Amino acid sequence: MELFIQQLTNGLAVGGIYALIALGYTMVYGVLKLINFAHGDLFTIGAYLGLTLLTTLGLTNYLGPFGVVIVLALMVMGLVAIVGAALERVAYRPLRTSHRLSAVVSALGASIFFQNAVMLIYGARYKVYPHDILPRTAIHVFGLDIPLIRLLILLTSIVMMIGLYLFIQRTKIGTAIRAAAIDQGAAKLMGINVDRVIMIVFLIGPALGGAAGLMVGLYYGQINFTMGWLYGLKAFTAAILGGIGNIPGAMVGGLLLGVIEAMGAAYISIAWKDAIAFCVLILILIVRPTGLLGERVAEKI
Amino acid sequence: MKKVLFFALILCLMAGTAVSAGTIKIGLMAPITGAWASEGQDMQQIVELLAEEINAAGGINGQKIEILTEDDGGDPRTAALAAQRLSTQGIVAVIGTYGSAVTEASQGIYDEAGLIQVANGSTAIRLSEKGLKYFMRTCPRDDEQGLVAFKTLKSGGYKSIAILHDNSSYAKGLADEAKALLEKDGANIVFYDALTPKENDYSAILTKMKAAKPDVVFFTGYYGEAGLLLRQKMEMNWNVPFLGGDATNNPDLVKIAGNDAAAGFMFLSPPVPQDLDSQEAKAFMTAYKKKYNAEPGSVWAVLSGDGLRVVAEAIKATGSTEQDKLVAYLKTKMDNFPGLTGQISFNDKGDRVGDLYRVYKVDNNGKFIMQ
Repeated sequence: MELFIQQLTNGLAVGGIYALIALGYTMVYGVLKLINFAHGDLFTIGAYLGLTLLTTLGLTNYLGPFGVVIVLALMVMGLVAIVGAALERVAYRPLRTSHRLSAVVSALGASIFFQNAVMLIYGARYKVYPHDILPRTAIHVFGLDIPLIRLLILLTSIVMMIGLYLFIQRTKIGTAIRAAAIDQGAAKLMGINVDRVIMIVFLIGPALGGAAGLMVGLYYGQINFTMGWLYGLKAFTAAILGGIGNIPGAMVGGLLLGVIEAMGAAYISIAWKDAIAFCVLILILIVRPTGLLGERVAEKI
Repeated sequence: MKKVLFFALILCLMAGTAVSAGTIKIGLMAPITGAWASEGQDMQQIVELLAEEINAAGGINGQKIEILTEDDGGDPRTAALAAQRLSTQGIVAVIGTYGSAVTEASQGIYDEAGLIQVANGSTAIRLSEKGLKYFMRTCPRDDEQGLVAFKTLKSGGYKSIAILHDNSSYAKGLADEAKALLEKDGANIVFYDALTPKENDYSAILTKMKAAKPDVVFFTGYYGEAGLLLRQKMEMNWNVPFLGGDATNNPDLVKIAGNDAAAGFMFLSPPVPQDLDSQEAKAFMTAYKKKYNAEPGSVWAVLSGDGLRVVAEAIKATGSTEQDKLVAYLKTKMDNFPGLTGQISFNDKGDRVGDLYRVYKVDNNGKFIMQ
């Protein structure tokens, strides 16, 4: 039982990060029906920008650990959002009316461009965040040592996801995004500036991805220019698992994927944990082709 | 006017061929991009530095050498293309590459083209068991490392042992080798499994491993994962000794894990140049620091430098660039050539002979101390 709870917390912490990245995939897909393959690399850029800001600004000198993290997170999210919007402007908008496949190829190209740009700017070696930013305390629950940061990662992810959900459901811009997701033509006729809506989607999704990158950097310490690929793949899987285009679906899918992986590793085989996760994905898609929460196709996003 | 231009063109062409006829071309195939780009870029820097030194000293037998670099991206498919490109460029030999699977994809192409290949980081056993005439390597083989791992674990008095690899052909080969030797000796392997490289969170694996209660963990994968394992192990308050394979030999391991988590970590490796007191090694380290303002990160990259040096030595000694003569010289006549990583001789399979491995331990300040 102890082992089970320990693995559950392990899985939820990883899943929270998957979910944050998955939101970016799902939002873009919901509005544009495009899988933004460069999203994993925006996550990488977030991790690297976080490191640069952390080491050059010297925030630790006049802020407490959590102050540093909050300021850093806001800056990284802002910067990655700008990169995301620029990506949309340069790589996707010119292809808005062309075949869907062209946009996907453009996305793959953008991914290769970002990955190699990060390598050329920062070098190919692993980069390491300073070790003493966050307190390394563990809390004892049910006789288990659970690192506090692990819980904070999960909490932050959930807070951000709920915030996004409320933003989409309760605000005027959110309504516009939902309208554009259902029918871009009709949304235009209702006086919605669809280009602006898409721009906003490309600000929010990358910002969340960048925040996830920063969290990975702060907690695990090690970042690398290829890290976006694996996280991107997992998050993409999570988005499909929950029903792509659906925001609560991305949350559920991400957390579930993390837990499935941890449990697969714990009770079956570590080497097979990815295979187990993908088998679950296939099974779910056979039973529910639209993903777990993807039934309301008309109400994507 | 046309005639003048024509002659000028002829002259240019002649001058061009005259210059290229004067150089000895040697290829370098390295992962300049991709997941092993840091090692590959190190390889390129080292080989170029040594080539400059050779040329500054007058070249080999009066001829300058020229290095042609191709990027293999750390990927077998790219490597096959790179090998085909290099084979058509009139090179004498090719240095590289790093990963065993990548080398394997290029071996046949070089052998067919009759080019000598000196691999620098590919330790898989089967590479030199295929009877390829022109294949050599400056790095040791996995079976030697497996044996050293076995001896180290046995002399440590560990009873129950956990073995973790990363499913790469190198890491799995080493893990299997060590496991077979340990089991034959009656040791208890309580855990044997693989992780996925490039993930950041290994807590699920550590939790499972901890439940198996091993006395020691032997991890055969790379330094990036090893650093994270050490760090997350400390966060779990689990004090189990870790032994790593030679792919963990990289100063970045300590940066990733942090000094306190890395302290006490042991690994097997060929000696790094910092630990060699030969003149060659010292001179190399000084020159490298002067040119690049850093120390070479990985011993595997330094082994590519040794690859260039043995090829240069063979050309110098035989006075020829014929591959058959060079291979014969390298395999039979080269005896304890002073390399950057110690003395170098090859057996008739093209494998480096001699006991290369040492046991290293990380001290409290994050320094690698040879045991």
